[in-house]
Amino acid sequence: MSFARPDFLLLFLPLAAIIIALYLLRMRRKNFMVPATFLWPAKTEEIRANALFQRLKPSWLLFLQLLALTAIVAGFARPQFAQRGLAGETTVIVLDSSASMGATDVLPSRFSDAKALAREAIQAARPGDQIALIEAGPVPRVIFPLGNDAARQTSALDAIKGTDAEADVGEALRLASAVVANRDGARLVLLSDGDFEPIKDFSAGKAAVVYRKIGIGGTNIAIEALGVSDTTRGRQLYAGLKNYGGQPWETSLSLYADGKVVDSVRLKVAAHSTVGHTIAAPAGARLYEAKIDPQDVLKADDYAAISSDPTASLRVLMVGKPDPFLERALALDPRVTLDKAAELPPDGGSTYDVVVFDGVPAQPTASRGTLILGDAGTSNFVAASGVDKSPKFLRSETSPIMKGVDLNGVFIDNAQRVTASGDAEVIARSATGPLIIVQSKPNRRQLYVAFSPLESDFPLQVAFPIFIANALDFLGGTAGNGPLVVASGRPFATPAQKAASIQTPDGGKTDLAIVNGLATVRETRNVGNYTLTTDGKSRPVVATLRSPRESDVAPVAQLALGNRAVKSTQSPLRFADYWRPLAVLALLVLAGEWWLFARRS
Amino acid sequence: MDLLLPARSLRMLEGLRLAPRASHPGRIRGERLTRRAGLSIEFADYREYSEGDDLRHLDWNVLARLDSPVMRTYRDEEDLAVHLLLDDSPSMSFGDPTKAQVARELAAALGYTGLLGGDAVTPLRLGRRQPPPPVMRGRAAYGRFVSWLSREPGEEIPGPLSDSVRSFVASKARKGLAIVLSDGLDPEAPAAVRALVGRGHEVWFIQILSDLDLDPDLEGDLRLVDGEGGNAVDITANSHALRLYRENLARHNAALSEAARRGGGRYALFRAGDPIDAFIRDVLRREGWVK
Repeated sequence: MSFARPDFLLLFLPLAAIIIALYLLRMRRKNFMVPATFLWPAKTEEIRANALFQRLKPSWLLFLQLLALTAIVAGFARPQFAQRGLAGETTVIVLDSSASMGATDVLPSRFSDAKALAREAIQAARPGDQIALIEAGPVPRVIFPLGNDAARQTSALDAIKGTDAEADVGEALRLASAVVANRDGARLVLLSDGDFEPIKDFSAGKAAVVYRKIGIGGTNIAIEALGVSDTTRGRQLYAGLKNYGGQPWETSLSLYADGKVVDSVRLKVAAHSTVGHTIAAPAGARLYEAKIDPQDVLKADDYAAISSDPTASLRVLMVGKPDPFLERALALDPRVTLDKAAELPPDGGSTYDVVVFDGVPAQPTASRGTLILGDAGTSNFVAASGVDKSPKFLRSETSPIMKGVDLNGVFIDNAQRVTASGDAEVIARSATGPLIIVQSKPNRRQLYVAFSPLESDFPLQVAFPIFIANALDFLGGTAGNGPLVVASGRPFATPAQKAASIQTPDGGKTDLAIVNGLATVRETRNVGNYTLTTDGKSRPVVATLRSPRESDVAPVAQLALGNRAVKSTQSPLRFADYWRPLAVLALLVLAGEWWLFARRS
Repeated sequence: MDLLLPARSLRMLEGLRLAPRASHPGRIRGERLTRRAGLSIEFADYREYSEGDDLRHLDWNVLARLDSPVMRTYRDEEDLAVHLLLDDSPSMSFGDPTKAQVARELAAALGYTGLLGGDAVTPLRLGRRQPPPPVMRGRAAYGRFVSWLSREPGEEIPGPLSDSVRSFVASKARKGLAIVLSDGLDPEAPAAVRALVGRGHEVWFIQILSDLDLDPDLEGDLRLVDGEGGNAVDITANSHALRLYRENLARHNAALSEAARRGGGRYALFRAGDPIDAFIRDVLRREGWVK
């Protein structure tokens, strides 16, 4: 046994001395004259004291008071017994549900193993222990808040399913830290294989972070790349496999075009190496797929798909300072693959479909679409002449870009005073000048907004994601109605007016809520074929996992969390506090002392 | 003149006489029958004639019928010595009204009754050196009696009740009815009563207690100072201590009552502040103290 706060034990002696001193003090009594004193009891036990010293007499009250003091002081010193166990008094379990946790190097899977550990922790919780559970999936969520209802917690735990997506473990840990909110002795237990991006900007506060590594590692072959490109030899379909294991592995690769097998080969992949395979892509196909059957530990990355429609995917480069509102709005488009940079690359962003300048001076780009937010820079279709302070939106023109976008009431702090040049068209203006200008040329479209989103409350309006979606359609081209290939676990939005639903690979159907003409899809958490139905029209949706981080399933023994490293702990020590029984004992003793005192008073 | 008692109370006592349980020898002929044969008109018994008897008391009817001389005997009538012993110890000065004041009023009632009955009433303040008290008789003496009761006592502080009673016992006071008006708050009080009884007196002990004596409303840690100079007592006036006090008081009162009754006397407890009329009606008359 040990004490968490042994310094409190030092209080016993002075406090006990004070109590005993009170008993050593002789009463200073008030004189009261009575007719005769011989009838009064000659000896009355003193139960109060307030003056000079006398001999200490045995007293039950003194004994009970010292006993209560002992219990109270010992309780404050927090006696503890060390035990092994994941959970402490206040525990937030962060359960990694990423794709790599589906690895079967431990049976039945890492995720099942982690759930079993979480279940054990819940069932081993003592009365008074508080446990919360957070699922670290693509979007972290609290499965149950701090509580002590093992039955409900176990039921909620059992309902969690693993995903085939990358997990935002960092955000999940920040959420866990917020849940415990600087409670003393709190513990954040991360059940994970450690296969996620290093976590920066994280502080657990007073909480201790316990990382329990799940998995032992094993060979994993992943389809690392799948693409089509038009070459001098015609359209080529390329598939690349990577062996993340430490030994050579052989697997069959099958390539499909619109569901029909077009090639099947057996490939040998050396340890930690990549092997590619290229074939002539069948003409006219809308969806190409690749499957391997390596009998490895992770299935989610054994399948990949790509759409042949050039508008089916958009590579977007965001140039400027971080802008989470804009990033989130861009990410809602399932076609978007977003990169960020502080400056425009020397090639002018030729490998991107759309370049976005957010709050930095725009430059000429080599992409087919340019979105300029706040600073026209050296753009050739807008001429800046100053700054307008707090301009008020006046009107907008009929344009697909402004469809569903209402700028009335949007507060704009600063806006550039510009004029549209040449064939540029003003589609929204304020009382002092143009607010939104577009220019459309063959193979090149540009969109200018006179203010940066961060210098207005536009990102807080429901019109903002609609405007960004409209802008992407304008700049990158409207997506066709062919198969939609999305990254598993990544939410996306789709236009819908009346009804929207999605059918999952297992046949389940989920109705989607429509808000401001957009239905957000969060159900594509696992790799597979979905069917998205909007306003009566169905469209295939293929969710794939292409994440080197997830495919590299080797568990990580030491994590970098913020500025410190956290090693995996098999079974951390738990110090069980026993102050509660002492508090109860103190209360009982004090109640007895009060009863005795009242009986004599 | 202050009669000490209202006229209504005095009227309640009209026609009543103190009724001792036993007869006591008198010094002069009075209105009270004795066990001794005498010359009153109160018939006592028959006895055989003996030579020299007064033929006026020969029962001629019996002689005529039985032919046997039988003498009629009569009970003698004497006065009764009534000693009204007022406790004047310091403890009697407690209460509102004070126990001493109540003792004077009760003494007035009993003295008035005694005077009306032709008894030889002698008031006495216990524990005080004073000239031999006058013996008072008859209704006409009530004024003097009240005057004596109303007189302020001297400066000296009397000792405990038991010492004063023992002094009285040692005096040459005539045997008779000793009515003690006292709070009895002296541990030796029962012994003093027994001493009175042993001297041949019939003791009527009227114990006068105040609210402070009967239901002390004390709280907290106190040093109780004895009003008669006894030992101080440190107490914590809690329910436990008060319960013990009441038990001790009840035991002490029972001892007093026992001492008086065993000696053929009477005992009554009077709460200072209660109406005197109720005491006259409920105790003196109903219990036969006066008839």
